[in-house]
Amino acid sequence: MDASASPRLGHPHGGQRLTAANRPLRTLIAMLVVLLAFAAVAGQLVRLALSGQSELSSSFAATVDQSFARPDIVDRNGRLLATDVEAYSLFADPAHVLDRDEVVEKLRTVFTDIDGDALRKDLSDRSRRFVWIRRGLSPKTAQAVHNLGLPGLDFRRELRRAYPGGTLAGHVLGYVNIDNKGVAGIERYVDEVVGVEAVQGATLAERAPVRLSLDIGVQHAVEAELESAVERYEAKGAAGIVLDIASGEILASASLPEVDPAYPSMSLEQRRADKVAGSTFELGSVFKTATVAMALDAGLVSLDTQVDVREPLAAGRFTIKDLHPLGRPLSVAEIFIHSSNVGAAKLALRAGPEHLQGFLRRMQLLDPMKTEAGPVATPQVPEHWREIETMTIAYGHGLAVAPLQFAAAAGALLNGGNRMLPTFVKHPPDAGHVNVPLIAADTSARLRELMRRNVADPAGTGKRADVPGYLVGGKTGTAEIPGPGGYRKKAVISSFLAAFPMNEPKYLVFILLFEPKPTAAARGEVLAGLNAAPTAGRVVGRIGPLLGIMPAGRTLSVPGMAFDATSPAKYEAR
Amino acid sequence: MRTLNLGIMALTLASAFLLYGINYDTRLMDQRLQDKERAIEQARGDIAILKAERAHLARPERIEPLARAQGLVPVSERQLVASPEEAVARALGGNEELLTGSVRGN
Repeated sequence: MDASASPRLGHPHGGQRLTAANRPLRTLIAMLVVLLAFAAVAGQLVRLALSGQSELSSSFAATVDQSFARPDIVDRNGRLLATDVEAYSLFADPAHVLDRDEVVEKLRTVFTDIDGDALRKDLSDRSRRFVWIRRGLSPKTAQAVHNLGLPGLDFRRELRRAYPGGTLAGHVLGYVNIDNKGVAGIERYVDEVVGVEAVQGATLAERAPVRLSLDIGVQHAVEAELESAVERYEAKGAAGIVLDIASGEILASASLPEVDPAYPSMSLEQRRADKVAGSTFELGSVFKTATVAMALDAGLVSLDTQVDVREPLAAGRFTIKDLHPLGRPLSVAEIFIHSSNVGAAKLALRAGPEHLQGFLRRMQLLDPMKTEAGPVATPQVPEHWREIETMTIAYGHGLAVAPLQFAAAAGALLNGGNRMLPTFVKHPPDAGHVNVPLIAADTSARLRELMRRNVADPAGTGKRADVPGYLVGGKTGTAEIPGPGGYRKKAVISSFLAAFPMNEPKYLVFILLFEPKPTAAARGEVLAGLNAAPTAGRVVGRIGPLLGIMPAGRTLSVPGMAFDATSPAKYEAR
Repeated sequence: MRTLNLGIMALTLASAFLLYGINYDTRLMDQRLQDKERAIEQARGDIAILKAERAHLARPERIEPLARAQGLVPVSERQLVASPEEAVARALGGNEELLTGSVRGN
């Protein structure tokens, strides 16, 4: 009704006037009511959006998030080491399973190792609506189960980590758990530093790949040569590291027996423990590299300083003697080249326990170390640094460190004296590397000279590591392994610390053989010069061309080859 | 006024139909978008599997015995030269046999 028409209709009653007067008010009230209703709805929506929805979504996500999408892991050249692939996971809803025995029996035709009793027990609990039967199935296996046509069984698509290289760099990569979450090695680093995405179903991660410093070609070469060496010298295990001594980037890290990241239970076997970073060892005479460096750096001796090593050294109830005493005083250079225990002990005594301890600490050999693949096994340091410890540590006994930690220290000794932090991740060239000097550049140069002489000199213990053109330098180490009641005879860790090319070292190679036997290939000995050194030479000969190292001083008449499959004993003959 | 009301009603009705049409088209497009997203996800999954298979087939552990069976050996320092001239000189003048690629000279 139009309010303005009322007076014209001729109803001059007071009530009518009242109605006409109240109309704007009623309209206003109606509008207010409608507005309030809308405001209430809007308020409720805002409340839900701000609080209620987040609670709902998180509880929903908690039940539906099944796995974690991980970025790929690639080597320094972009070659794939680990990736996520879609897999099927089989589950049962006990409430919909009609015949438990039929389910168990039919599933047994696909999964021969299934635990029938446990599954029967799980399926008998009708209050449960969800029971995992098998996760991470291939499409083929999933199809086989699907073809069984069993009611109450269904699949979920999930992500599963795949390692296309198999056991290649298995110890470094680590592994993931059933939910695709990193548990060890680089996989754990990916979780903690790079980040993974909690996903429903099989949604792949969109993150950029994690680029490691490893080189698949170098890694394979090291693993293959170590495998050959284990066979040739009948060793119980082996380990090898290749490091870029300028940047600290690890190009290869191998430990035999190997592990397959796809089978995490393999890592639990003691004999498969990571021998590069996960265990500590008394490394023997390779430690003389540090002892001689300390003495040179402190200015206590020069390479020509004569040291009397004719008599064995008495150390408590032990006697320190040389394996092949020359019966005359030796220069510091000769102590290194002939690997004189007495000489090394005397150099350490000349410096004193405190100085040796301080030097080793400066070289990062006494404190815990960490890489992206996890913490390196903590060094086993003697409780007291008396004279006897000083003497034995001088030639690599009485102090146990992980090979990777020693390699890092050795890299610093050879790269001009700058601290080297080993890394498994490829850093951009402009990453802003800062040199932290640990020893004098001149000491580093003297050490390079010594190591080269130890390989080039026909009397050097490392002569079998020589590779034409690559100017290899190195130091041998044959360390007896401690056992109950003392050191075990003939049970040794043979190692060879090498670097090349020694005129300007770029790469460090550290090879270890665990408990090699005195085979004919090693002339019936277990000495590092006869097993670890030739193995290191083979590795250098094989990886040198891969790394683009141009051979120095090569002439057309040189018949030698760094690596030749048809003559496995080539380096033994030199 | 009545005309105005009728006009507004007609406009409202037209808007409702238009809105319905847009809504319908939007749902259709949303459906198509979801189909495309599913297809992209499927393609990404397939690519991931193909990538993994390719890497698995190209792993050095598999390639090395195959290459050796073909008479190939790992690259050696003899195959590295500083310049093309040196390569030619080696090929023409030296006593060494010319190595092609990684094929072992006999």
